[in-house]
Order: sequence, then structure tokens, then C-alpha cells
Amino acid sequence: MTLIADRPGPGAARPYRFPQVVRRDVAGGQVVAAHLPGQNLAVALLLLDAGAGREPVGSEGLGGVLAKALEEGTAQRDATAYALAIEALGTELVTGLDWDTFQASVQVPVDRLGAAVELLAEAVRTPKLDPEDVRRVRDDEATALRMDWANPGPRADAVLRADLFGVDNRWGRPMYGTPDSVAALDVEDVTVFHSEWFIRPGTLVVVGDLDRIDLDALAASAFAGTVGGPVDRGAPIEVPLHANRRIILVDRPGSVQSTLRLGHPAPHRAHPDYVPIALAGTVLGGAFTSRLNHLIREVRGYTYGIRGDFASSRRFGRFAVSSGVQTAVTAPALVEAVGEIARTQAGGVTEDELAVARSWRAGQLSVELQSPRAIAGALTTLVVHDLPDDYHARLRESLLAADVAQVSAAAAAHLHPESLTLVLEGDAALIRDELAATGLGDLIDHAPTA
Amino acid sequence: MPPRPPALIMRLAAVTAINIAANLMINGVGCGSAGGRSDSVGAMPDSGYPWPISMTRLDNGLRVVVSEDRTAPAVAVNLWYDVGSRHEPAGQTGFAHLFEHLMFEGSMHVAKTEHMKLVQGAGGSLNATTNPDRTNYFETVPAEHLELALWLEADRMGGLVPALTQETLDNQRDVVKNERRQRYENVPYGDAWLRLLPLLYPPGHPYHHATIGSMADLNAADLATFQAFHQTYYAPNNAVLTVVGDTGVDEVVALAEKYFGALPARAEIPPAPDGRVVPATGVPATETVVTDVPAPRVYVAHRTHPFGSSGYDVVTVLATVLGSGRGSRLYQRLADGERIAQPDLVGAYGVDLAHAPAPLIATATARTGVGAERLAAGLAEVVDELATVPVTAAELDRAKALLTTAWWRQMSTVDGRADALGRYATQFGDPATVADRLPAWLAVTADQIAEAAAEVLAADDRVTLIYHAEEKS
Repeated sequence: MTLIADRPGPGAARPYRFPQVVRRDVAGGQVVAAHLPGQNLAVALLLLDAGAGREPVGSEGLGGVLAKALEEGTAQRDATAYALAIEALGTELVTGLDWDTFQASVQVPVDRLGAAVELLAEAVRTPKLDPEDVRRVRDDEATALRMDWANPGPRADAVLRADLFGVDNRWGRPMYGTPDSVAALDVEDVTVFHSEWFIRPGTLVVVGDLDRIDLDALAASAFAGTVGGPVDRGAPIEVPLHANRRIILVDRPGSVQSTLRLGHPAPHRAHPDYVPIALAGTVLGGAFTSRLNHLIREVRGYTYGIRGDFASSRRFGRFAVSSGVQTAVTAPALVEAVGEIARTQAGGVTEDELAVARSWRAGQLSVELQSPRAIAGALTTLVVHDLPDDYHARLRESLLAADVAQVSAAAAAHLHPESLTLVLEGDAALIRDELAATGLGDLIDHAPTA
Repeated sequence: MPPRPPALIMRLAAVTAINIAANLMINGVGCGSAGGRSDSVGAMPDSGYPWPISMTRLDNGLRVVVSEDRTAPAVAVNLWYDVGSRHEPAGQTGFAHLFEHLMFEGSMHVAKTEHMKLVQGAGGSLNATTNPDRTNYFETVPAEHLELALWLEADRMGGLVPALTQETLDNQRDVVKNERRQRYENVPYGDAWLRLLPLLYPPGHPYHHATIGSMADLNAADLATFQAFHQTYYAPNNAVLTVVGDTGVDEVVALAEKYFGALPARAEIPPAPDGRVVPATGVPATETVVTDVPAPRVYVAHRTHPFGSSGYDVVTVLATVLGSGRGSRLYQRLADGERIAQPDLVGAYGVDLAHAPAPLIATATARTGVGAERLAAGLAEVVDELATVPVTAAELDRAKALLTTAWWRQMSTVDGRADALGRYATQFGDPATVADRLPAWLAVTADQIAEAAAEVLAADDRVTLIYHAEEKS
């Protein structure tokens, strides 16, 4: 025999380490930094309390348009000069948006970080926002969304979100807005949003070799000319569950796959069950070996992949499952997915499954937190959710300590198979009858918008 | 709540993969940044790889590459097998990639589904990809699980065939067909790569067909072919094992000897067809597609030089000047200047293939009201000008700065480094040559770019793919 039959056990575990965190109040803002000795590249990320949740209802997509408009010239230079200046440092201005925050960041060799942060601040704090440029950026952004919405997924996501959270609420509408909502924005919406939210100091996240970085100087650049302070971030939102499960069909003629988006509301980020909820989601739909992926992909071959998870922001959360399945098996795939969610809610998890889930999630805190960019993301979590410096080490301990009873209880309490909204985006003519015949819930045809 | 991808450059699906991807959103901001200990990147670095590298060849031909770095308690294990879709004969397109899927379905001492469970249950991340050149398998695990990862890799290198069943093949065939639907058929422009390859490479050329393969060939795949495929190509002397991270040379070599050392070498490993010479056609090739897309889009493609050659280093810098970032020529001319292209969807890049002249692809998508012909003409003009309008010092510095950051970003993780070392050991015989790439990019001159443009971007040897949006009734 040329192969060794016995599976080796683990060696001695190395202690878990998260980089040393430094917090400092400087120049009216806050700096949160992590020290990576010897790293030659560094990341700086300006975090503003200007997430999609700050956009008024009816103005969805404002943050995305403003993000693009920041690069259309500043008080000091035009758009081309700005692009050449920042790219000559080896970075682009990377902007990002979620429900809780707006982020702008740079990633450069450490000796260029000062210059890069100056340019970052120049765009964020003093953009030109010429009306003609803003209108053009808005039109381009509407077009970009229209392009994106030609793919399967975005429409289904929007339909699910609206049904879960109510289309009258900002959080019931897509985070990046819709092609129509963006097209309807006017210049004043953008300039007012900037003056309201983008000149507050915010938090500067810095990751790199702090022995070669002057945090005070970076803060002085990042917070220069800022005014105002923190604004109340709002309490968690109570989102009612539906009394009955329903199917919503979104027509996409000619689709060779059907896109599944199943979901219901779930707890916000600070909920005390955060860890067992995350582990229940991992067993059901998070890991490759999860129940859903095992059944729908590895046993049935219906899909290239299916995932389910709980996701949460400061004020709300949701449970969702997503996949693309071959058109011909849409109904059986849906029935089996719902069945697996119900089974998990009713029966909980096994020790064998949970062992994989907790080790995986704990191990990922080492394996996936290597690069400065990834560590900057970890610091962002600390800032947004008011977590302590040793949060990641504590999270690791909590994950490893969670037992079957806790995780099964979380599955029982936070999965709601009878309240699911089941959104199917596909060739309606081919799938409508068999979806209706599943008996999973009333079938609603989503009315297409012009 | 997945973010809308920023996708400044919509890269084509040149690589197919297993779709483990359920990487946890631990925090919400993804992507890597970079590390490295060279001198200031503004100056010319001596090396793009300032960590130790060793390579040991076991008696059975397996090359074992080790690069120690104790910074984080993790190790990356990476296997490059020197087999890709370029080895597939007619009628068996897609087999190398479908085979890659089968490698996760159990082997002699690993039950079906156990591979993923053991790696994720150890806290690890794993995946595999196939492209025209090669197939790579990789996992990053907390350092104490190194031996587990090596055991798993050895078991499927040496013991896959006894575990391979018709049921597994049928299941993964369905999964791969769904991958094809999801990534190529059900999305606008998803078939661009499938259309460009046969325009760039003639029938019989190893890059003529796409790695995902055809539905007909996938349907015809039989078990015996896959058993033979493993026996032919999955031999220790056709692979490079790379380990990077919190371990040392002695430990890795001893473990490699223990788990892989007794696997027999294969005497004859058939080479892929030789594709190094692709005669210029002297005739532009244009394909026009009228289909359900949201806007006209144009791709311009050229055969250039193989990845790893000095000619391709010039092409890499050229592509960055042409199509990376808002300061690039394509952005400045088409998105900002004439405003005929959508700003998020212009770009250019080389596809890093090493066994034949690799493609350079430039693309633009029309703004509302702009026709495909005007866009195609504008795109061609900017490409043509690379030969006639000299690249300025500022353009060159910008490109090199962006490439430098991109390089160190790949080097900032143990998995990024392991894949690079595996590549250089497999394709160039010496992993230490990885250190030469960044200095080679930084040495490229404006004159070389103009010469390369004149040589490989000639309009009479150009491939153009144009998507028109069909009229809706």
C-alpha cells in the first residue's frame, strides 16, 4: 500500500492573535489602527455614518452617486488630475457603502500613506460637485444599475427585500437603489447629502506598520475642516413576520435557470443570540457541507451552489437563501430547500454538524484575516458595532464554546419556515404551474415595472 | 446582503472553479492588500519575493516548494497539476474541469463529502480552479492542521480512482452543467470568452476551446475516460506541492515524503499539442452578435506573447496604461473624453496563459444612445494609438505604481504566495523566478510599449466581438 490510511490528528495549536489595536482621538475625529510590523503596504479607510440607512425614502442610491461624484474633481484639481495624482501613488479611491456606513479607502506602500490620505480627504471633504458633472454621474450610475439588473438576481433581491421590510421604508428598498430611483435624483439631493453627512469627522481606520506611520498627521489630514459630531443612530427596528408563506414570481423570459431568493426578517446585529444564530445559519447554509448545499447540489445536482445565512446591520437583519437552479427542477428544488429550513427549525443541529461549523468559523478568524485590507474590515466591525479591542479573540471563544442546545434553540427561535417569502425569478411561462402546484403558499405574479 | 460588484473591469470567465466560495463575510470589506519587505516601492526593488524559498524533488518526481513565514498561525497548501483544458482532445472539452470537481468527492480513505468537511472542520478555506494551462487545488488552514491537508491531497493524488463512481460522475456533471448555465448562458455577455477563443486560436490549437467545455461533450463523458485521465495526469512527477506559512522546510519535506513519497511516478505523461506558434492571419476577424443585452458592448482581442516572457511583461504594463483605472487611456478617451463608453465598464487586461501567445483583451460598453459601430471605432482607435502616440513618463509611472500595489496585494497572504510559487515552479521550473516578475515590469520602457503595440496589436490581426442589443418588440 502506497497511501497512509490513517488520518492524522492536529498538531499543537498556535495561540490566536489579533493585531494590537490602537485607538486615539485626534483633531476632532477618532483613529482606530492595527499594527502589522514589517508590512510594506498599508490601508487607510475613512468610515462615515452615511450608510444607505441615512438616505431619505425616495432618494435611494444617493450614496452611490455621491461616491462616484467625489472623483469628478475637487476644490483643488479637476477629475483627470485627481485620477492621475492618486493612481500615481499606486491606489484608486475605493468607495463602499452598506446600511450603516459609507467607506472610502486607499491601499499603498506605507511610505505613500500620508499623500494618499490627503487625496482621500480632498475628495471626500471638498469635492467640486459641479452640477453638470453630478447629473452625468447620476445618469451613468442609473445606467450601471440597469446593466446590473439585466443579470438574474437584483430584481429578485429587491422583491424579497420589499416583501420582508415594506417598500414604504428605506430598508425595504435596495441598498444601492433602483435604476429609476437613481435616475430621479437631482443635484441638490446629492449636495445636501454631502453637506449633511460627509463633513462630519467620522473614524479613520489605519492598518500597517505603525512604526512607520504618523497617525496624528493622517488624522490631521482626514479631519481637517470637519464640523459636527455623531448623530443618533436609531434603535433596532421591529419587523413583523408574515402570517403566511407566499411565492412571488418574477418573470425573466428565456432564463435557463431560476433564481431563488428565500427569506424572512431576523435579529439585528447586537442581538444576544448573535453567535448561536450565526452557527445555525452555517449548519443550514453557510459551509460547503451545509445541509442545503449538500442536498441541492451534492445529492440532487440541481445547482452550482446554494447558500443561506443570517445577515444583520445595526437596526435590522434577515435570514435568506439564494441559488440558481436549472429551470426544469425549479419546483422540486424549492420544495426541498423549504423542507430543509423547516427540518432545521424543528429538529435543530447535530453535534457532528456543529463541530464543523464552529471550528470553521473560528479558524476563519485566522485564515481570512491576513491582509491589511481584511484587517481594516475587522476594525470597521469594531467601530460600527461598538465592540472592544479583544472582540475577535472573544468571538473565537464564544464560537468554540457554543453547544448543540444553544444552537438548536437559536434555530428554533429564529428560523420561520411558515413565514418565508419565496421569490423565484425565471421563465414564468415554464415554471408558474408547477410552482403553484407545490402548495407552498399563494403565488403572486410580481408586476413588472416599465 | 451582497454588495453590487464594483467591477471596473469585467473580467471574462477564463477560469472555472468549484464554487466553494461561501467565504464568511466576517466583516464586510473583502479583498486583500499587500505585504512585503522590499525597499520603498518608488525605488526599483531587487526582488518581488523577499521571503525564503526552497524546492526539493522527491524520488518520485514530486517537487516540494516551501516558504516559511511565521507571521500568522496559518499555512497555505497548494498543488499545481500540469494539466488543463489545453490537453483535452476533440470531443472531450470540459473534462479537465469536470475532473477537478470529482477530486472533491472522495478517495481511497476519504469518504464522499468528507474532504470539504475535514478542511472546513479544521477551520480552513479551500478551492480549486481549472484554466487552459493547469489545474490547482488549495487550502489554507490553521497551522496545526498542515498534516491533515497533506494527507488529504496525497489520498486524492494516489487513490482517487477506486472511489470514483458513476453516481458521483453523474451528480458532478449536473453541477458543472449548472455552472455553465449560471456563469455563461444566463447572464448578458456571459458567452464572450467562449466566442473569443475560437476567433483567436485556430481549430486544433490547445486554446481553441474554453475550459468549461460544451454541453454535448459533458453529456458524453464516461467513467472510464475519467479513470484514465487521473492515471495519465495525476502523478507526482506532474505536480508541484507548495506550502507557505507557519512551518519550515524540514517539517514539510518530511511530511511530503511520508504521505506522497511512495506514490509511483508515471513514466510517460503525454504533452498537450504545441500551440506556441500561431501564424498571423493578416485578416481581421469580427463577430457580431445580436442578442438580449442591455447595451452594445465591444471586445477587442489580440494574441501577444506567452506569460513569463519579456514580451508579455511589456504587454502587462501596456494593458495597465491602456485600461486600468480612471487615469488609463481607455477611461480618459472613451468614458471621460468622448463620453461614448460607460465609465464602470471600460478596461483592458492580459489573460496570463503561458503555453501560447496569451490574449490581451480590451472592452467597452456603450453609453445610452451610442451605437456599437461608433464604440468599436473608438476602441480600435485608442488601441491603435499605443503604437503611434508615445506613452508619457506619467502614464508609465502610474501603471507601474498600480502594478506594484497589485503585486504586493497578492503577496500579502500565504495563499497568494503559495499559488504564485506553484505557478513559477510548474511553468518555469524554478519557484525563485517569482522574484523577477515585479522588477521586470518596473524595467519596461515607453519605447518597448510602442514596439510591442506595433508588433502584436496590428489592426490586420485583430479580433473584434460586437454585441448589439436586439430590438424589443
